[in-house]
Amino acid sequence: MFQIGFDGPGKVIAQGRLDAAQAPHAQEFLDAVNEQCVIDLGGLEYISSAGLGVLLRTHKRLMAGGGGLKLVNVNSHINDIFMYSGFDRLFEIEATE
Amino acid sequence: MQNEFGRSLEQLQYIVSFTDEFFAQNDIDASLRYIVDLCVEELFVNMVTYDTETESDILIEMNPHEHGIEVSLTDFGVDRFDPREAPPVDVDAPLEQRTPGGLGLFLVLKMVDSIHYEYRNRNSKITFIADRK
Repeated sequence: MFQIGFDGPGKVIAQGRLDAAQAPHAQEFLDAVNEQCVIDLGGLEYISSAGLGVLLRTHKRLMAGGGGLKLVNVNSHINDIFMYSGFDRLFEIEATE
Repeated sequence: MQNEFGRSLEQLQYIVSFTDEFFAQNDIDASLRYIVDLCVEELFVNMVTYDTETESDILIEMNPHEHGIEVSLTDFGVDRFDPREAPPVDVDAPLEQRTPGGLGLFLVLKMVDSIHYEYRNRNSKITFIADRK
């Protein structure tokens, strides 16, 4: 189960499992974002490379227009994946306290 | 424990349920769950995406290992593909040089304790071990 939606201007919440089956849905949603955006990943349990691809593609598009993605409330498992992938050097990331 | 899964990304939800059952029945350390989920998905999706010359289901086997779990995925009637030979990903590259592809197998090789490949009679079998640290 994966859910993504707006939580106010410039803020998105993603929850559940972002796997290869759900990545097209996430990409379609994020393709409609056109400004600096904070994604709250506090409810995201799992992300695979397909989900990483969605974040990277969206971040590159927004950065080209002067914006970008900020990832907040990232749990330790997903933060590990971000670090292994080098995403900690590409994105502004705030891990869960 | 083993099961066969059709060549569709929609099968990922059933693979998760299969893994739930295996972990519960065998009291596998929960700290290994993310690694197993990620590696199984990446290898399964790679087979579904690139081994397009077959319509056979993909066999997934899970067995307890000394301090963790051993998982095999077998694809039948396909060309050889050894994931250990996957090209490396430059994770230090700047954003403009990064592309979404290639991270899946890179993460598998990074996260498992060991990985083994067998290719016999056009059957491609990948086995990995994830052990509790």
